[in-house]
Amino acid sequence: MALLQAVLDGFMLGGVYAVISIGLTLVFGVVSIVNFAQAQFLMLGMYVAYFAWARLGLDPLLGSLLAFAVVFCVGYLIQQGLIRRVLKAPEVAQIFLTVGLLIVLENAALIAFGSEYRSVQTWYQNESLRAFGLIVSMPYAIAFCASAVAGVTIWWVLTHTWWGRAVRSTAQDPMAAKLVGIDPDRVYRLAVGFGVGLTAFGGAIILPYLTVSPSVGEQFGVLMFTVVVLGGLGNVLGAVVGGLAVGVIQSVSGLYLPLQLQNLVLFIVFIATLALRPEGLLRKK
Amino acid sequence: MNRKTLLLLAALAAVCALPWLLSESGYLLRVLTLLLLFAAMAQSWNIVGGLANQISLGHAAFFGLGAYTSTILLVRYGVSPWLGVVAGMAVAGAAGALLSLPTMRLKGHYFALATLAFAEVLRSIGNTWKSVTGGPGGISVPLVPDAGLALMQFSSTRPYFYLMLVALLASSAVCWKISTSRLGYELRAVKANVDSAEVIGIHTARTKIVAATISAGMMGACGVLYAQFNYFFDPDAVFSLVSISVRVALICIIGGMGTVAGPIIGACFLLPLEELFNATLSGAGAGVSQLAFGLILILIILIEPRGLQALYRRLAARRRAP
Repeated sequence: MALLQAVLDGFMLGGVYAVISIGLTLVFGVVSIVNFAQAQFLMLGMYVAYFAWARLGLDPLLGSLLAFAVVFCVGYLIQQGLIRRVLKAPEVAQIFLTVGLLIVLENAALIAFGSEYRSVQTWYQNESLRAFGLIVSMPYAIAFCASAVAGVTIWWVLTHTWWGRAVRSTAQDPMAAKLVGIDPDRVYRLAVGFGVGLTAFGGAIILPYLTVSPSVGEQFGVLMFTVVVLGGLGNVLGAVVGGLAVGVIQSVSGLYLPLQLQNLVLFIVFIATLALRPEGLLRKK
Repeated sequence: MNRKTLLLLAALAAVCALPWLLSESGYLLRVLTLLLLFAAMAQSWNIVGGLANQISLGHAAFFGLGAYTSTILLVRYGVSPWLGVVAGMAVAGAAGALLSLPTMRLKGHYFALATLAFAEVLRSIGNTWKSVTGGPGGISVPLVPDAGLALMQFSSTRPYFYLMLVALLASSAVCWKISTSRLGYELRAVKANVDSAEVIGIHTARTKIVAATISAGMMGACGVLYAQFNYFFDPDAVFSLVSISVRVALICIIGGMGTVAGPIIGACFLLPLEELFNATLSGAGAGVSQLAFGLILILIILIEPRGLQALYRRLAARRRAP
């Protein structure tokens, strides 16, 4: 029973991991840049939702839409002003540009918002759902549902809209996309905005059960990379599978292992995937 | 003896005289001592990052392993840090070899991700495994009165200055030796094209493992020196992504990756610049100097990711051809 409960908890966590990691994998898939600062956009999203709650009285669920919109604009401008300039530069420049962004965003947040931990209060915070002897805490359930809605929306956008097809074709071959009248630069801007916005959305919906501080991204950075590497960098469906897998691994290993080894388990999964199946678990060679 | 050697010897003599011109335990001497240490650390990074172009974002892992190894040996078993340097090098080198087994085939972003994750995992283990590491509260080097040289404890900064200078000279010598040896050429071949390197008979896997081990071991020794110099550290300090891993890489980038002079030029540029920001902005609150660090990083990447030497050549060429 404890195992079943842990698996269920893992799924609830994993749904959110999936959504925040889709953002990261989307940026890589389209722009071919690993965004080391992705988790800092999650932090930004949490702050937007926090202030929407504190100043405007918005529930984080509604605030998450605002978080998406605000961070989308930030990502759009960063792609236009910064990332665009290193797309053809050596890899070392691409890596350190986003590492620089990570440092700037984290410390800008520290200066602007201070180092204190902030949290929101919602009516459903202490509620829980019970069925068949299993318990799901309400904020986790709500975050999972919001993630599922977001995931389906992304799938629909990517497969059923002109914009989604433009993104996928640019990811496959920017030159060919250009030939059929798609402006790759424009797609890149939108894709980066969309990717970081999605991660910010994920940050906002987990705000009811987490506290936000400028360094909250550090908890999620390696975790998100594990998720996208498991699913294959650039593979959106893979990020969903990877997210759920990481959630379950984390939750189940918490059952059997002391705290200091839980992160080690995730790391071993991460390194093993990189070494043995760098293309991810889903893709066939 | 040619002119270049003479010039180098003169510069070395000037550096050796520096501590006697400055106040014994003053701020400036501390900054210079750290500058030498960071140049030595960057030199270690240079072997893997510069020569083989394997961009590591996790060298803090080896630095922290060295610091913890010697300090735990000293606190628990009273082992002198002089032996701790050897132990720290061994542990860090072993970790480097171990990590290179699954990561040596990775390139670019993937290698950076894997090394970053390695350091982050060690940081989280350091923070949670309280019985061994002391957890987030950190660990202190016990001060023994009059221990002095035997326990590598000095009240003046001067001996540390020379210690770090020796570390820098040693790591530079190793780097120079490697870059002019068979291993250096093999590493450059690996950097240029792994498959071709394999075809001409280079055992690329062994080459990478050897380089990673040397680099990690040197970084571990630097960690030991840092622990003795600072007397106190915690997991977030020694396993830090920003202030260790990224900083040593940035020093190499600024100075020019893969050159022996690069880390020295980079450290002489970056650390004083950071101190300048610290001195002028420290009143502005937490995070301001780190923000400046991030902005410097982004600016350098946008202006000239190949560093100051390349920038100088570019500007000189522009002046020659109007």
